[in-house]
Parts: sequence; C-alpha cells; structure tokens
Amino acid sequence: MSEQFFQEQPFRTDAPEQWHRVHPVSPLVRGWVAVVAVMFVFGRNSLDSIFSGDGIEGALPTPGGMAFLIMVLVVAASAVIFGLAFFLSWRFTRYQVTDDHVHINSGVVFRQQRRARIDRVQAIDVVQPLLARAFGLAELKFDVADGGKSAMRLSFLKLAEAKRLRAAILARAAGLSVDPLAPTEVAEAPESHVLALKPARIIGAAVFSGTTVTALLVVGAVVVATVWSGELGILVAAVPLFIGLAASYWKAITGDFNFRIALSPDGIRLHYGLLETRAQTIPPGRIQAVGISQGPMWRPFGWYKVHVNVAGYGADSSDHGSRTVMLPAGTLAEVMAVLGLVFPDPGVENPFEVFTAGLKGPGNREGFVHSPPSARWLDPFAWRYNAFRATQTALLCRHGRIVRRLQVVPHERTQSLGLHQGPLMAVLGLASFELHSTVGPIRPLVRHMSVANSLALFNEQAARAATARRIHRDEKWLASAAPQELPEETENGD
Amino acid sequence: MPKSQSHSIDPEGVVFLPVSGKLVIARFITAVIGALLVLAITAVPLILHRSGVWAGYPAWLAWLAPIIVVVILLWEMILIPRQVRAIGYAERDDDLLIRGGIMFRRVMVVPYGRMQYVDVTMGPLERMLGLSTIHLHTASPGTNALLNGLPAAEAGRLREQLSARGEAKLAGL
Repeated sequence: MSEQFFQEQPFRTDAPEQWHRVHPVSPLVRGWVAVVAVMFVFGRNSLDSIFSGDGIEGALPTPGGMAFLIMVLVVAASAVIFGLAFFLSWRFTRYQVTDDHVHINSGVVFRQQRRARIDRVQAIDVVQPLLARAFGLAELKFDVADGGKSAMRLSFLKLAEAKRLRAAILARAAGLSVDPLAPTEVAEAPESHVLALKPARIIGAAVFSGTTVTALLVVGAVVVATVWSGELGILVAAVPLFIGLAASYWKAITGDFNFRIALSPDGIRLHYGLLETRAQTIPPGRIQAVGISQGPMWRPFGWYKVHVNVAGYGADSSDHGSRTVMLPAGTLAEVMAVLGLVFPDPGVENPFEVFTAGLKGPGNREGFVHSPPSARWLDPFAWRYNAFRATQTALLCRHGRIVRRLQVVPHERTQSLGLHQGPLMAVLGLASFELHSTVGPIRPLVRHMSVANSLALFNEQAARAATARRIHRDEKWLASAAPQELPEETENGD
Repeated sequence: MPKSQSHSIDPEGVVFLPVSGKLVIARFITAVIGALLVLAITAVPLILHRSGVWAGYPAWLAWLAPIIVVVILLWEMILIPRQVRAIGYAERDDDLLIRGGIMFRRVMVVPYGRMQYVDVTMGPLERMLGLSTIHLHTASPGTNALLNGLPAAEAGRLREQLSARGEAKLAGL
C-alpha cells in the first residue's frame, strides 16, 4: 500500500492540529479575469500613449522610451501586487477534514472560518473551469442543509485529491467509518454507467426551447421594423440582442454537453459541461422532490426535463440553475431510468404505467384522481389533467395541459401540508392541496380538487408522512443498510 | 372546552382551540391607527376645500375619499371578530394543525418531527394585551405556520411542548 502513488493511498482524516493548503496556483485560476482586465486596461492606455506620442511630436526616442519604461513599471508593479495578493490568499486558506466536520479557514483581512457537519452534507460537486482543467485542478463544492446559504468551496485541489476528498466526505456522511482495523481509511466507490445524452439531443433541446420562440419574435420584430422604416440603424441597434440570444444558446448547449448519469454506492453522479466540467454527486435519500416537465415544442420528440429539489441547492443560483437539473432532455425510457435511480421503490406494482399516466394524462387512469367537473370554470382546459395519485411510497401530482408537469414527492420527505380555499372555490366546492418541500424548483401543488377528495388527501397524506418518517429515521444511509456492499467496494478500490 | 368556529375544509373529528379574544382588540387598534393615518392624508383636500384655499377642488371628491376610508374601517370592524374566531389550532399526536381565514380559508399541518425551530415573538401592542405570536419553521419556505394572538402563558407552554415533541420525533430532512 505504502509504495503506491499518491492517489492510490487511502484517505486518512485529520487530527485537530493537522491542516492542508489548497494548490498554490489556485488564486491565479480564480483571479485570472482580474489580472487580464487590469493588463488590458493599462496595456491599452500605455500603447495608446506610445503611439500618440510618436505620431504628434515627432521626437521619436525620448517620449516613446519614457512611455515604454512606464509601461514596464506598471506591469512590474501589478505583477508584484497581484503576486502578493495571490500569495497571501493562498497562505491564509487552509482546510481540514476530521471525522465529523470539514473546516475551511480563509480570508486575509476578513478572516472566515467555516465548519460543516459531515453528516449534514447534502451533495458534493467537483467543478473544473477551463483554466483549472489546463492545470489539472478541480474545485470541491459541497452543500450543507442550512437554509440556502452559499455552499462551501475548496478551490483548487488536484483532481485526484478532490475525488479522494469527495469519496471520504461521502463515505463519512454515509456512516461508513465502521471498519475496526482501519477506521480512518476510505476507498473511492466505483461508478457504473447509467445513461448518456448525445450532442444531437442537447442541441435539439436547445433549438426547440423557449429561447427559439424569443429569438423568432425578436428577429421578426427587428426585420419588420427595419423594412417598415427603411433605416438600417435598427439592425445595428439590435446587435446586442442577437449577441444575448447567441449567448443563451451557447450557455444551454455547452452547459449540458456530454451529460451523463452514473451510479456509485455513494450516490447518483451527474457529469456535464463542455468547457467547464462538473461532476455532481447526490447521495441517496437527499432528493426531496422530483419534477418532470414537457413543453409543447418537445411533445413531438417525446422529450422530458427532470428537475430535483435537494436541500442546500435551493437559493444557490450562481451556477445558472443547472444544478437542479437531473436530466436536461430525456425520452420516456430515460426518464423512467432516472426515476428508478431516485426512487428505487415506487410503491406500485406497475410503475411504468402509473408514471406514464402521470406524464401524459388526461382522465383518471391508473388511480389518478382529477378535478371534478365544476373545476371547468377555473381550469377550462386542464381540469382533467390536474390530478394526484398516492402510491405506497410517494405522492404524484400531475398538472397542466400545454406544459405538462408531474411532481413526485416521497412521503418521508414531506415537510408540511396545507389546504386552501378561496371564495370562488368555496362556491364551486373545490379546494387546493399544497405540499411543502425544501427550497427548489419544485413546489408540489394539487389544484382545484373536490373538497371531499382534498380533505381525504390531506388527512391520509399527514398519516402517510408520519408513518414514513418513523421508518426512515436514519440519515446515515449506509450504516444500517446493505453490509454486503462493503467488501466488494474495498476490492475494487485497491 | 371552547371551540373555534368550524368551516367546510376542516378535517373531520379535530377539535380546534381558539386563540385569545383579546386579539380582536389588538387588531381593532391596528386597524384604527392605520385608518386614522390614511384619513389624515385624505382629509387634506377636504380641509383645503372647506377653508376656501382650494375652492376649485370638486366637493364630492373631497368628501368621497374620507368616506371610503371610514366605510372600509367599519367593514374591517365587522370582519375582524369573525376572522379571529376562525383562527384555530389543534395538537395531534404527530403534528400541529393550524387554520384560519373566512373568505380565503386555509388549513395547515406541521409535523413535529419536521420543525427546525419555533419563534415566539411579542410586539408592543401584544405585550400590553399579554399576547404573543408563535411561528413554526420547517426546512421548507412554503411552511407559513404563523399563529397570532396566543395568551403569553399558552404560547410558552406550546413552545415547550413543540420543542419536546420535536426532539422526540426528530427526523432528518
């Protein structure tokens, strides 16, 4: 063991006085934009002054030489300043992974000491921006369920080190530190491939999206305005709009490029990104709710988008919201495969039929209960689509006719329930049922059910959630379950 | 045992406890203060008109605005006692039920095991009347479980009760 290389060494948690530093290049990788910006501004000004000095005065050597000297001085000064700032920032950033906590200390002037309980870690990402990839570095980012505050980041580590840390933190979070011979050693869990999306799918999904509708409207409006007024200036003025549209296509395509899902014992792993790559790990049981949706443009292709609520992802919109996407555009079969990962136990004998009925509607096939006819006054088109179905393990809420949605919440992840009735709904004998999940894109709601049905749902759901909570008390998902997985894992890790 | 007024979306077989009747006084005072402020503003054109400074201002408009304010205040005065009677709560084995509203009714159930923390607050007006407000928080922002107008002693008891039950039934996220 001791003679293998660095990344093959087993992970050991740190003693309280033992600290590590991030990779020395990290401040540069993080701050290169600032460096380039400063260089650009100063550089352009100095070049301007050289050339303008040459052009106007005609006295060639002296002013030009002076300007050159100033330029060199500025470059040297900024190099020193940036170098010092980067060195200090590196020097003052330390981290430590103990048996129970992850500590990160950072900041030169304003010191920050952050500590996260490992058993509260909700998900871990390994992120590689383009420049970091060039250096073989990666950022480790993990979310703790703390009401949507910013995630903890460790940037940057060597890729292998980041993966090792991820494995170690996830293993501790799973409660896997039970090997009596080597209590502080962890091997990385192997991955098994589940599905990958082809580039054509990602591009197709971007082309047949709301962006295209906006693009067509914008282009149409600009063309009409130009032709009508005969002024080409309008075309020029619309250039920023076109750039914005191109950028949103670019972001949609590069962000989800090479999307693939793998399963490892420490969770579901999503890999994606063209320039900046990201490997996102969601441990089992951390998914609070799943939402599957399909807009009208995707219906001919049969594509669906899958979102998840994960506590900790919530309000963090820094990563253009793509972290909550579990599947950017998948066929029905792929959606079912993903649902199989998320809910290994759907709680019905014929999950495929039930979920298909939930995705396609309408009516009350497969035990779905939809709004009564009196809801026609409020939902003239969608009343037979708005429906719910409770299985043994989860509640399925279906709604919408134009944009179809299915929301699935496991009973043990129910936070609280609400029942609402406005004056119009009271007249029509309707009530809406709301199920509260953690912060995220999915807010489960069953609209406009009959009062009797929604009351029954309210009562039954409260009881089901209470029962499910009693069964699923344990946060450490590997400590109690499946001890036969452990020997396999250590064999593969060696 | 006093019983809170019932309505159609209440779960069956649950006895809701009402909140303190003093909440009516608290809400009256808030409504009257608010109405007086608005009245003071809307009365300015009327005073100007009556005193002849702004004689051109239409008299009906000068009278209409304050009258509307007074009518709204009277309407609130009628509504408030019913609204307060509609608020109720019930402690069950696993969860707490809260309900409220007449026109826009709502019932909410918050499991003890899901409670992250419980806030008990007391504003100046509430302190005068010996009332407090209790607010339950879960991991979901959608849980808007607010209970106004509990007698201070009852709020304290409920908080202790909720914390104790929450600990006993605590589940992860």
